Formats: sequence, structure tokens, C-alpha cells
Amino acid sequence: MSSMARVASVEGGDRHPYATSQGRARALNAPRAALVETNAAGVPVFINRQQVALVREEWRVVDRWWTEEPVYRRYFDCVLVGGQAVVVFHDAVRGGWFGQKA
Amino acid sequence: MIACLLIPGFELRAVLAGREELRERPLALEPLPNSENVIGPVTAKAAEAGVRPGMRLGEALAVCPGLCLLEPDPARVEAEWEHLLRRLEDVGISVEPEEPGCLYFETRHVERLYRGLEQVLERALLAVGPFWEPCLGAAARRFAALAAASVARGGQALIVPERETEEFLAPLPIELLPLPAPERERLHELGVRTIGQLTVIPGGAAGERLGKEVRRAWELARGGSAARVQGRVPASEIAESIVFPEAVANELTLRRTFSVLVERLLARPERGGRFVRSLALSARLAGGGSWRRKTTLRQPSAERGRISAALSSKLAEIPSPVLELGLELETLAEETGEQLQLAAGGELEAKLAQGLKQVRTSTGSGSVCSVVEVAPWSRIPEARALLVPRDE
Repeated sequence: MSSMARVASVEGGDRHPYATSQGRARALNAPRAALVETNAAGVPVFINRQQVALVREEWRVVDRWWTEEPVYRRYFDCVLVGGQAVVVFHDAVRGGWFGQKA
Repeated sequence: MIACLLIPGFELRAVLAGREELRERPLALEPLPNSENVIGPVTAKAAEAGVRPGMRLGEALAVCPGLCLLEPDPARVEAEWEHLLRRLEDVGISVEPEEPGCLYFETRHVERLYRGLEQVLERALLAVGPFWEPCLGAAARRFAALAAASVARGGQALIVPERETEEFLAPLPIELLPLPAPERERLHELGVRTIGQLTVIPGGAAGERLGKEVRRAWELARGGSAARVQGRVPASEIAESIVFPEAVANELTLRRTFSVLVERLLARPERGGRFVRSLALSARLAGGGSWRRKTTLRQPSAERGRISAALSSKLAEIPSPVLELGLELETLAEETGEQLQLAAGGELEAKLAQGLKQVRTSTGSGSVCSVVEVAPWSRIPEARALLVPRDE
């Protein structure tokens, strides 16, 4: 069984915690929405409609749980069939998939 | 508060300036060359006959057979817009032009001068003049100010207090939001017809199901950005033009005229020896229209050869014979010379700073950023560094 999810980009959406009062500074390496299809274990099988050849590494980032903007992410460092290396994560708070340079 | 001044159909009004007798006729601006065959702004008489801006030319003529078409005149539009901005700047209002016919300004800078918000707005309307029938809106946020200006009648100002922003925006149609037609149709299909109906959808759901355009519109519907207005640096007033006794189409003649214009401009005492950062070349055409191109130099310069090389190739783009050729110095650099150094060092930084200024001039404020490390140790990648605009 597989599931597919698309999420909105955080760019221009939710406010970055370090943004200036005028909102002019923006985060470098902000997550970008990714279309990810997973297997039953929640591991990516397709990323942006390209098949995943290998999951090189998996790790979790749990941070800021003491604030109102907690971070619960499950990162996957993947290699696609075309040879491209991609890092995606599932955001348990927002409930979507994002791509990011880790 | 942020005020928005809106002049609907500015391009048409600029062409009609000084030809008031035409305003009572059904008129529309011709489609722009090399663009879709749709008409521009229309007069009230044409609107009464059912003609709408953006209508296909054939359809417009079928709806109103007596419709007269006027040729677009971008040089005149630019000149009238610049005059209007200067009139506002003359009364102390620092403006941020969005496009011809739409600008923003902060009222708080001049509220003490004119003793109140309403007085500031009245002064602004007076400075623009009744011919343009400007609509003025003031609110705590940009989009709310734009919406207020869109609702206000010509020659009137509408103030939306901050606490009433949501209430004011709620009944307005979603057509006020900058949405592409397919997204707007999708919202209509979902029964979303007013801004208030859009704001009740959760932001995340709007973005996920309807795309980022709708998400952006959703943010605007909640009032939009409260970012401060950044007043422009007034353009220089150094311009030269040459009127031909008869229309000229010969490129060689135009090139020679252009060289004369460059020489005259560089010799103007107002330049004070400063280097040129950007210029605008304009032409009044034999058919009644006009043509205009702006160029930012790769590096500020006062050398005739460099300026000619940057702009003379544009002469070939002029679409028809020319009655008048004009050249305007839009932005000047602060420096009056380039000091070369005997010893290396420092020069690279100066050149880099110059290069960044050029990029900023050609692409606008906020285009040049620095990377500032704020938490390099963070486990969250996007929290490690920020992109901070460098506007100084």
C-alpha cells in the first residue's frame, strides 16, 4: 500500500522564527514542497514522480518541543534512479513532505 | 497608515490629457504591438456600450461599432506618471510607485505636517488633480489599502481603521485579488465569491488543494503584508530631445542624432560630473504613438562610447519613422570619477560594491542579499542562516 502527499511550500507562508519585523529577511535553504509516494513503512518510493533507487540514510530531528512551533521531522537521504541525490523529510507537525539540502 | 492611490485606466487618461473633447466618445486603447489582440483601458462611454478592458478587438468592435481606437503612447504615459509622482513629492509625500496608475505612500511621515490623516489624503488628491480622478485608500496593510482604493470613488479617499480591516474586506469580490483566471474559476466553482469566504478556508488547505497562487491570495485576503512602504529616490530631470522637420526612418540618421543627444546630456551642468547609472531612450512616432526603452549600464560611466554602445542597438527596435528622439538620464551615480590605485587591494571591493549597486538599480530593492549565519549549530537546516537584503 502506498500513500501520496503534496504539501504547500513554507516560502511566503508560515513566518520564519528569525524573520525581521518587516519580514524582509528570509531563511536560506528553506524547505520546498515535494511530491512523495511512500511504502507502508513510510519510506519514500517515488520523489517528484521519480523512482527511488536507494535510501542511503534515515534520521530524525526532534527539536523545539518546548515551544509553540515544535519540529518533528523524519529525514531520508535518497538516490533516485537517474542518479540524483535528494534529501526529503516528512514533517509530522504540518503533515507533509518537503525537500531540503540537509 | 499605508495609503494607496489608484488611477484606473491611467494609460488611456495619459493619452487623453489635453484632449478633453475626446473623453465623451467611446474610446479604447489599441492592442499593444507583439501582444495578444486585446484592447486596453476604455472610456466611460465605451464601458456604457458594453466594452470592457481586456476584450478581444473583434468582440469589442462587434459590441460597439462606433468604438474609436487610440494608439498606446508609452513615452507619454511615463512622462505623465513622472509628473504626477513629482507633484506628490513636491508636497512632501515619499512615494513607492507600483506601476503607472498605482502607488503607495506612508501617511505617518506627513501627518504632523498636515495635522491629520484626512488632511494628508486631501492634500494628495489635490496634488494629483481632478483630471485623473484618483481613488485613494488608507489602511494598516498594503492590500487593504489597495482594496479601499479600488472601492473608493474617483476623487475620494476611503479610510479603513485597522480593527475593521477584516470586516471591510469580507464582502468584497475575489476579483480584487491578483489571481490567475483558472484559479479564480476554480474558486467560483467551489462557491467562493467573496474575500470573506476565502479567509474561512484554513491557509494550509488552501495551499495544498488549490496551489500557491491561492495561498498567496489567501494571505492577501487576511490583509496582506504590513511591510513598510519604501519611498523611491526621485529620478533626475536631465533630458534632451531633438525634433525632426519630417519623420526619419534611416538608422544612420537616428544613430547620429543619438550621438548628439549623448554629447548634449553629458555636457549638462546639472550632472555635476557624476557618472550615469541608467538612461531611457524615447521616440515620438509618425503614427501618433511613442516608444521607450530603459537601460541600466553594466558599470556607471560618463564615457560617450560606452553609453552609445549600450543604447544605440535599441534604435533598430523603433517600430516606425520617428518625429522626435529623446534621451533621459534616469539615475546618476554619486561618484564623479574613478580613482585608480597604484597598489593592489581595495580595488576589488570597490568594483564589487559598484557591481552590486548596478544589480540593485536594474533589478530593484531587495535583489542583493547577504548570507548571515544566525545559528550554524542548529539541527534545523533553515534556521542556520538568513538571507538579508542589502539596500545600502
